[in-house]
Amino acid sequence: MTANNNSHEQQYVLETHNLDIYYGSFKAVTDVNMKVERNKITAIIGPSGCGKSTLLRAFNRMNELFAGTSIRGRVMFDGEDIYARDVDPVEVRYRIGMVFQKPNPFPKSIYENIAWTARIHGYKGNMNELVENSLRQAALWDEVKDKLQQSGLSLSGGQQQRLCIARAISIKPEVILMDEPASALDPIATLKIEELMQELKKNYTITIVTHNMQQAARVSDYTAMMMLSGEGERSGTVIEFDETNRIFTIPKDKRTEDYVTGRFG
Amino acid sequence: MPRKTFESEIQQVKDDVLVLGSMVEQAIHGSVDGLKKRDLKAAQKLIDDDLEINKKRFDIENKLMVLIATQQPMAHDLRLLASTFEIISELERMGDYAKGIANINIRMGDLPLLKPLIDIPRMAQIGADMLHRALTAFVNEDVDAAKAIPVEDDEVDALYNQIYRELMTFIIADPKTIERANWLLWVAHNLERVADRVTNICERTVFIATGEMKEIKSTDDEFWKQQKGS
Amino acid sequence: MKEKTIVQGFANNLDARNRKGVIWHVIFQASTVVGILALIALMLNVINSAFGYVAYEARVDPDSLAVDGTALEEQSKEQLVALLQSTLSSGAYNKLDNEKPFVDRSREEVFQLVVERIIRPQVVEVWNLWPSLTQPDEIRATVTKDHPETELDFVSWLTYDFVTRPQTSEPFTAGVRTAILGSLWTILFTILLAFPIGVGAAIYLEEYASDNWLNRIIQTNINNLAGVPSIVYGILGLAIFVRTLEPLTSGEVFGLVDPTTANGRTVLSAGLTLGLLVLPIIIINAQEAIRAVPRSLRNASFGVGATKWQTVWSHVLPNALPGILTGTILAVSRAIGETAPLVVVGASTAISFDPDSPFSKFTTLPIQIYQWTSRPQDEFQSLAAASILVLLVLLLSLNASAVLLRNRFSRRF
Repeated sequence: MTANNNSHEQQYVLETHNLDIYYGSFKAVTDVNMKVERNKITAIIGPSGCGKSTLLRAFNRMNELFAGTSIRGRVMFDGEDIYARDVDPVEVRYRIGMVFQKPNPFPKSIYENIAWTARIHGYKGNMNELVENSLRQAALWDEVKDKLQQSGLSLSGGQQQRLCIARAISIKPEVILMDEPASALDPIATLKIEELMQELKKNYTITIVTHNMQQAARVSDYTAMMMLSGEGERSGTVIEFDETNRIFTIPKDKRTEDYVTGRFG
Repeated sequence: MPRKTFESEIQQVKDDVLVLGSMVEQAIHGSVDGLKKRDLKAAQKLIDDDLEINKKRFDIENKLMVLIATQQPMAHDLRLLASTFEIISELERMGDYAKGIANINIRMGDLPLLKPLIDIPRMAQIGADMLHRALTAFVNEDVDAAKAIPVEDDEVDALYNQIYRELMTFIIADPKTIERANWLLWVAHNLERVADRVTNICERTVFIATGEMKEIKSTDDEFWKQQKGS
Repeated sequence: MKEKTIVQGFANNLDARNRKGVIWHVIFQASTVVGILALIALMLNVINSAFGYVAYEARVDPDSLAVDGTALEEQSKEQLVALLQSTLSSGAYNKLDNEKPFVDRSREEVFQLVVERIIRPQVVEVWNLWPSLTQPDEIRATVTKDHPETELDFVSWLTYDFVTRPQTSEPFTAGVRTAILGSLWTILFTILLAFPIGVGAAIYLEEYASDNWLNRIIQTNINNLAGVPSIVYGILGLAIFVRTLEPLTSGEVFGLVDPTTANGRTVLSAGLTLGLLVLPIIIINAQEAIRAVPRSLRNASFGVGATKWQTVWSHVLPNALPGILTGTILAVSRAIGETAPLVVVGASTAISFDPDSPFSKFTTLPIQIYQWTSRPQDEFQSLAAASILVLLVLLLSLNASAVLLRNRFSRRF
């Protein structure tokens, strides 16, 4: 993949064109055409099992860790197809980072969590500085600056998640994908993460999957509403995509209205 | 059935609005009746009863706040609850207008009416009737009915113009009647404002259903043009 | 507590349920007790044989060998060597010198030879620990009556010397040092072969192999190999390592041939054979350990753009290491106790020289035990019991150190 020097010219850092995602022969996601705008937070909401996480994982080719997944259509990152034959998924993940639902810091020290990540990508600069910067950006520095050598697993859930965010941003990706990042956390930790996202969007593009509607409403600029409706009600598709403000006050699709007012199902 | 509790609570709020509406309707009718019959006792009672209207309004307001805090309303539900704040505010103002008419009744005291009241009660009738139907449309979320009501405001405006010209004639003919004429004009003015506020209620009902806030029919410009002309 | 009123359809069966629970509890406890009793019985039996009174007769009285008032036990090595030279035939003396020059032998070894060749104590009767402790007087009476010329001593067959002396045919001077060292050398090669290959295979099967019919066949075969009787591995080892690869295992290729062996029955062959035996165990255990690494850890690593190798090396393996080590410990414990395959491969029956290279002749503890138990005389049963105790201690300490090692690895984060 070529590094795109004119990346700021592209308003949409991620785009999908007629994206279908298959698990073996089962079509989990149907015909998604979505544009993710740079330096904005885009939320993907919808009922359980409608394919939100599957769609998210297609953006950084993490789906490939499951045997037998394949896609049709294209996923464009900065104008280039990330599923092209000559594209290395490892490089895709270098530029599109991911934070998972259950915080999963490495069983190493807080310092090593970030340092190892930077090192495997060939970082040769001042590691202490990088670790401090990443932890500061993740609003975690003040809480851990005196215990960098302690295990990452000794932190609370919310802190662990912020450590995972620090780790993800240490290699300066362009996009951060978050798969229900706060669903395993208590309300206060959740709010801290949400505030953090607002700060981060100045420098990164964030795409978040959440089943918490209020969170999507609080945090995102754009919202994609996903539902099982393609192909016999077993395949997920994006039924509405709009500014968050409109999705939650005057949605266009009745199914979206039913979902956000809790009248769904 | 999802959100059964919420649905029933919304229904309760609507019922409360209807109750408040009927209290206001009664006040409008009662104030003009009292003026016609020169019933000062009734007027005083009406003024006292206005406290009930205010209380009811704040009651509904509190219920709305609780619903918003606890139920996280979105989209249609949110528009409904937000509009209800507006609507009960309009209703409370209409109650105040009725109180104003009762006040004038008392102020006039023993003085006789300048002329038998015909147009003023007519204005009250139309206004109260419009209110009744507007609230029914609100509760049933009937957009078509809501859109059809504001046009009747024209009749109320026409009646007001008529009363205005008539009272002007009285004043020119006998300047000593100016005080009573003023009062009567003020009564007519209040009733004209009632009809206007009903129009607002109708606009809100359309907004709840469609999400669009549009003035349905602005005849006020027409009115002021006419005023200038006379 | 007040009794709950019976709801239609339900019965008050609390007492019956509790009773049933108690019965099962007792059954489980009884099973544990039976197991413990069996273990205790085993231990007591072994200990019983390893200590006790011995009536023996010396061909030559040690006291008569005192020189210038110095008792035999205190004589220097040179004195002992001179004694041997004067007593033994020149042929026997030269043979001993050829096997291992006297200058190279320690004083202890020479003393052993003196005892073995000159004094030659003959065991007349052996008693176990229990009778020795409970009926010492009767034993003494029997001895005085039936074997008046004999000496009666309380012997602890398991002594420090026992562990440090090399093997001899003489029960009083026998030691298990040769066998212990043989076991350790053999295990060394077992681990050297089986650990890297086993862990490597496990990594490949778990992380890299795709789920197709070929890999499933391989997996099934590995699982089955774990259950193959060990004697089969012995035959395999004989055919491949001892015979076919003789130039390699005998050391010919390296020019380090042991002059007395010149064949493939060496420590190396034994180690390799046992290595093959435990290989399936290590693979299966390592696979389990790798499979147990949580998916979230791999996700985290891939999520930050690591390659598969980086993920395996930096995260999966360290995380799986305690489990892998457990499997290795199990394998080593199994291997140390194996007798049959090594008999086939050719453990020596009578060597007294410590193994000093991969190409030495060898014997191991279990084989030593087996050989001693095959002899009819009672004293060899006692020696076997003492060796069993040594083997148990060895196993225990191996297990304990391995558990410590594993704990150390799992404590770090």
